[in-house]
Amino acid sequence: MKIIDYCMMFFGGIILFYMLFVIVSYCTMFIIAMLDLRKRYRLDLSEYDDAHIDAFYSKPVSLLVPAYNEEVGVVDTVYSLLNLRYPQTEIIIINDGSTDQTLQTVIEHFQMKPINKIVRTNIPTKDIKQIYESEIYKNCILVDKENGGKADALNVGINVSQYPYFCSIDGDSILDEKSLLRVMKPIILSDGEVIAAGGNIRIANGAKMQFGSIYETQLPSNYLVIMQVIEYLRAFLMGRIALSKFNLVLIISGAFSVFSKKWAVEAGGYSTNIIGEDMELVVNIHRLIKEKKENKRIEFVPDPVCWTEAPQTLGVLRNQRRRWHQGLFESLWKHKKMTLNPRYGMIGFLSFPYFWLVECLGPLVELGGYIYIVIAFFLGKIYYEVALMLLLLFVIYGVIFSIAAILFESWSMNTYPKKRELLRMILLAFTEIFWYRPLTLFWRCEGLLRFVLRKSDWGNMKRVGIAEKEKSV
Amino acid sequence: MIKLTVSTLLAIIFFLLVVLFIFLMYLLVQRQRESYFEKVRDRYLQNYSQLWYDYLFNNALFSIVLVPRGRAQVEAIEKIFSSYLKNIRNEQVELKIKQFSNQYLKAFYEKDLSSRRWSIRMNALYRIADLQIDELLTKCQEFEKNNITDEEHFQLLKIYSLFQPDLFMEKIKNSNVNYAESEYRRLFVLLDDNVFIQFLHDFNSLPANMQFAVIDTAAVKRKMEYLDELKKLLHHDTPEINIRALKGLYEIGIIDEMDPFIPFVTSEMWEARLMVAKIFKHVPLTYTYSYLEQLLQDENWWVRSQAAKTIVEDRHGIAKLQQFIESSNDQYAIEMAQEIAARKEGK
Repeated sequence: MKIIDYCMMFFGGIILFYMLFVIVSYCTMFIIAMLDLRKRYRLDLSEYDDAHIDAFYSKPVSLLVPAYNEEVGVVDTVYSLLNLRYPQTEIIIINDGSTDQTLQTVIEHFQMKPINKIVRTNIPTKDIKQIYESEIYKNCILVDKENGGKADALNVGINVSQYPYFCSIDGDSILDEKSLLRVMKPIILSDGEVIAAGGNIRIANGAKMQFGSIYETQLPSNYLVIMQVIEYLRAFLMGRIALSKFNLVLIISGAFSVFSKKWAVEAGGYSTNIIGEDMELVVNIHRLIKEKKENKRIEFVPDPVCWTEAPQTLGVLRNQRRRWHQGLFESLWKHKKMTLNPRYGMIGFLSFPYFWLVECLGPLVELGGYIYIVIAFFLGKIYYEVALMLLLLFVIYGVIFSIAAILFESWSMNTYPKKRELLRMILLAFTEIFWYRPLTLFWRCEGLLRFVLRKSDWGNMKRVGIAEKEKSV
Repeated sequence: MIKLTVSTLLAIIFFLLVVLFIFLMYLLVQRQRESYFEKVRDRYLQNYSQLWYDYLFNNALFSIVLVPRGRAQVEAIEKIFSSYLKNIRNEQVELKIKQFSNQYLKAFYEKDLSSRRWSIRMNALYRIADLQIDELLTKCQEFEKNNITDEEHFQLLKIYSLFQPDLFMEKIKNSNVNYAESEYRRLFVLLDDNVFIQFLHDFNSLPANMQFAVIDTAAVKRKMEYLDELKKLLHHDTPEINIRALKGLYEIGIIDEMDPFIPFVTSEMWEARLMVAKIFKHVPLTYTYSYLEQLLQDENWWVRSQAAKTIVEDRHGIAKLQQFIESSNDQYAIEMAQEIAARKEGK
């Protein structure tokens, strides 16, 4: 009995302390984000867009679309890229040895004809089988290559690209027409001091679209998807904006980010032997910046919007979260020497510890908290108070933060303008700590375990295609 | 102690929930107001768009109903104006817009300039420049004395450049804010030639970013008088400036003499060699082939590739490349020549 008492005291203390720590750090980041967004509240952004739509003020960008078995979504993605308001782009679709009709679909849809193109091998990759050029859109290229994974496909894209910046877009994402212009803004306005920038990702389920552009956003009806919408808002308000302000970003989403080709190539391109290739590239670039002692930045841009499809079933979501977390752990582990290493400055002293403690090991402690509450219930009165306190902290952490994020987003960006949608999101946020949170925690812990056991046999997300699904709604 | 903490926590949660509830109520009210605002704005657009069109384009008489009453109508007018200003170039229309804005919108923007919100002040500065409200120039100069951000300062420079170029020259030279190249280009590109040329004359006293922007702007303006100025910069001490000048000259596309470019064929910077290979596109191959052959065997991939591309652009280019492939023993150069020739023939 004594041992159990000590254990309960010890773990209770650790979990309480940890929760307080996390809440304080999220609060700080939230306040920084609020101040930042408040400044720009109601600023007329079209003024910047219109001024920079001319090639004379911007820099050309190569858009890379890696596609592996994306026959359903790839055409819409390419249309959304053709719709972009940006003066100079080339679209490079990389078919990574798909086993479905991706290649044929793209060839037929965009009238691709084989061409001879000289490719400079900046980064070693699997072989290219054939390069095609569209007869309709001259800036649209298709590269057919041997299967080598997403990272390898992106590297081929980098080799084929001719412009100084490249932007990677998932084969199932839709870009807002102004998104590229805005994600390039920090790069243009800093004269290249910003060498990579990531955009804000939103969930497209429920949005209405035609020919690759979203014309109306609607909150999806699936509760699981709404929870993810809330989760994305939170991550963006309590994390990305604040981290970006101090050049501490370690993750910019692979679904929509721009990199300086020179730096990406020097950092060795995307790593092919790792799950989270997007995070890996960002960390490698940070490392390079510090090692070369250059004054360069990686930024997160709050407004550019990239729409992506979120998993609609528990099974697929579980796979996704497990994979994300395994990827996060793998990257942190690979660069563990950067943690608290004075050579890497703030990245080593703030970013790494934050990602280790809050993002990576957090789920373990939090899940411990849930288990603690259950055990305390069986052990009797003396633990009720600690358990209650933990529960209240979970309420602050889960419910209050989520509602704050929803309201603040609604105030500053207003993606879901209907009153009913706003209230629905808030009501659902109250239920988060009872089902969604524990589930995702469990899956993330699974990811940790899989990293420890070195497992890597996950399946691909089954996609229905954003546009396709809309027809059925 | 623990009991106290639980109750404290409860109190904190309760407090936060109340705050969030108030915020929610505020949002809902705000949304109501916004939708009313939008209704007024849209009604104005619906009722008066045609009148505006007739006034601006068909010389119809100005009607007093067009004068805005309230913010919503100002926003509607901004929408109408900006759609015309962005899509049509018509001096008559621009003048009418300018006169109207000076008379009826000035007061709104003047008030906005003293707003505590940065975004509102910025929007006002945008409109002053877009709608050419020159009567606010003095107000803008007063505004500059406040503690303003770099973005506001930039917008002021833009306003000065439009309304009073002399003042602009003075301000930009004494400015201690360093803007991005693209921002300087935005300022320079609209300047009259007689103002802009002064920047080329004072070139050496400018900070680097401004120098680069001056070269690039001179290139897009495509005026013969800038050609000589750019050629002078080929002798500048800074390599980056030489390269930019080469690029500018390539973009202007008028090559009246070869001599200034020849030294760059053997330049230490591959970017300069690349630019020369590009510039030779504008000169007949008979004059440039010997240099291009040299560049085709360059150690840099981009230079080789460009040299080959320049050669095939000429009528006799492919024949020249075939000749080169047969006679050369530089494997890299041969491969490049073969691929470019194949691509050209493929088309």
